[in-house]
Amino acid sequence: MKKFCLISILLLMATFATSGISLAKPIAAFLFPLSGPFSAMGTDMKKGSELAIEDVNAAGGVLGKKAEVVMGDDEFKAAVAIRKFKEMVDGMGVRAIGGTLSGGIAVAVNEWACKNKVVYMSFCHSSIPIGKEQCGYGFVSGMIPYQTGVATAKYAFKNLGKSWMIVTQDYRFGHDELAAWMVISERMGGKFLGNIYSPLGQTDYSAHIPRIAATNPDILVINVYGQSMDALIKQLGEAGLTNKKMKFVIPKSHLYTIKAAGAYYNENFFGGHTFYWTLQEKYPKAKKFVEAYEKKYGEVPSQDSDGGYVGTRALLEAMNKAGTTTDVDKIIKTLKGFKMDYNKGPEEFRACDHIRMTSVIILQGIGAKASGRNFGKVVAEIPVEETLESCENNKNDIPFGKVKLPGK
Amino acid sequence: MEINTSLIINQIIFGLALGAVYILMACGLTIIFGLLDVVNFAHGTFYMLGAFATYIIVSLFGNFWLGLAFAIIVVGLIGWITESYLVKPLYGKDPLYPLMLTFGFSVAVIDLMRAIFGTVGKIVPLPPIFSGSLIWGEIFIPKYRLFIILLTIAILILLWLFFKKTNLGMIIRAATRDSLMVRALGIDVPRIWTFGFSLGVGLAGLAGGVNSTIQSALPDMGVEMTIECFVVVVIGGLGSLGGAILGGLIVGQVVSFVSLLASDWSNVAIFITMFVILLVRTRGLFGEAGRL
Repeated sequence: MKKFCLISILLLMATFATSGISLAKPIAAFLFPLSGPFSAMGTDMKKGSELAIEDVNAAGGVLGKKAEVVMGDDEFKAAVAIRKFKEMVDGMGVRAIGGTLSGGIAVAVNEWACKNKVVYMSFCHSSIPIGKEQCGYGFVSGMIPYQTGVATAKYAFKNLGKSWMIVTQDYRFGHDELAAWMVISERMGGKFLGNIYSPLGQTDYSAHIPRIAATNPDILVINVYGQSMDALIKQLGEAGLTNKKMKFVIPKSHLYTIKAAGAYYNENFFGGHTFYWTLQEKYPKAKKFVEAYEKKYGEVPSQDSDGGYVGTRALLEAMNKAGTTTDVDKIIKTLKGFKMDYNKGPEEFRACDHIRMTSVIILQGIGAKASGRNFGKVVAEIPVEETLESCENNKNDIPFGKVKLPGK
Repeated sequence: MEINTSLIINQIIFGLALGAVYILMACGLTIIFGLLDVVNFAHGTFYMLGAFATYIIVSLFGNFWLGLAFAIIVVGLIGWITESYLVKPLYGKDPLYPLMLTFGFSVAVIDLMRAIFGTVGKIVPLPPIFSGSLIWGEIFIPKYRLFIILLTIAILILLWLFFKKTNLGMIIRAATRDSLMVRALGIDVPRIWTFGFSLGVGLAGLAGGVNSTIQSALPDMGVEMTIECFVVVVIGGLGSLGGAILGGLIVGQVVSFVSLLASDWSNVAIFITMFVILLVRTRGLFGEAGRL
């Protein structure tokens, strides 16, 4: 019996050692979509977050102790995310949660966080700072979806053409981007030629190709994300549409998409990113981030890596500054207007609506020349002042919330 | 949006290409169900394995054709092993057992592939011969879509010849109707089952290889395909090869035209079609009557 107990204890210890689970009490809990259609991006976000924890710990940790953060997979499902966060909050006593990579899931988690009075740092593009979602407990280290819509639409109508068509992923993120494009189109004299709603997770767009070819817009907006975006670009390329005069604008693109699309992602493609590694030439502190990330993971960081890094580091440093890991009111008070200089020069979380004030980079494709760390050419950086609405507008969800979406 | 004749013809062509992949998948599922009465929930997983098999060969040797051949052979072999060691012990037991087994197998293999290949889509480049489209005025047919349609027709002809003209094919047909009688004639029926299972999943592997150039190879790419494939088979009638073909053609055209007219309904439309057909013909279009 003694032998059995000893072996059990040893096995248990080995399990803890190999799984990375620490017996120390965690101070925050993060979930990422490590499976499902956004898993590649979710993995990037987790990597960014892990690097931030390492950096914070290297600088002395949180309140003099090594910061322990528990991480898991939300399976790209709001119900799973909420169930797991509940287990982490109730079972481990954490008062700060973070992560998720979907506007829809972020909104659901934010609502839960508000009801349960825990701080929630959303690392992705989400509408937490807008209208009724603005409950005071949520922060966003990505951006509001409409911002990338506004940035890419402004760039496109100024440089690429006027007539446009859009393929929209049929959920909150896609709707917000579509609304932004419709508003900017009206302001800048764009000509809207039609929208195609795409169910979440769709990977075969072949039935839409004839309509896109027949409409032949100046600009096709690819307002879908993850595996759907990769598939749509490949299928447009396969049909021979990517080598013509049509331009393709992606409000939120990704380095993985550029890799997956290969030669199809050519100079006709323009994607919105909140981070690209060449920013290190402009912002000295970005260099440290890019080098550390590349050393640890063997690849350059993406915008999701940046979202994970900034959200995590800001949350942990705010805990340090507030002098607490559990007093939610104090942490929120510290995060409001929190100033930081991490990867893109001096930035802050706007006090009124908790959004990270950051710019959008427009990256043009380079087709088959893309290799190694070279994914494209930065053709513009749209400052936050040109994309972010005022606190009052965000509070009242104008102008984008008032847009009548086609077919809705 | 102006709907003209060219657009309708284009939609029909794209619908045919879509339907062609469904047909390859559904024929495989039908052979397995018709022969073994096994509802293969892992069919989409074999489709995914076919895509990865093609990816591996194309990455190593740069030969797409070799990749397609490898997809059928390797996936067929995996099917052979799966049937021999996992499915066979469950014959004669409650039909729920093989269903649960194939479901569990599917989950395990997807996770295994995720661990090996990660979650980033693997690219299988389109062979240069298939890049671009054939164009007549406003009508255009991407060359690769045309290839998919022609390949499926060729496979169907080969399947027809196999089942109607070869001894083995005739034995398989006989075994689907009365395996006891075939066994009484001294034929090794379990081996026939193994072969049928391998052939069925080999077709799924081929479909995966064909689609790997259109979609990136991903561990969970077969999940949705499994559901769509079951819809095709149910519409056509379980166990009927003719039904699988007709079901594939119907689903391809439904997806194509609903995508054009009401894109947000494209996913639901195939299920509505299935409900309507089942209301009219509860066994599907060719249920029972047209078994292998």
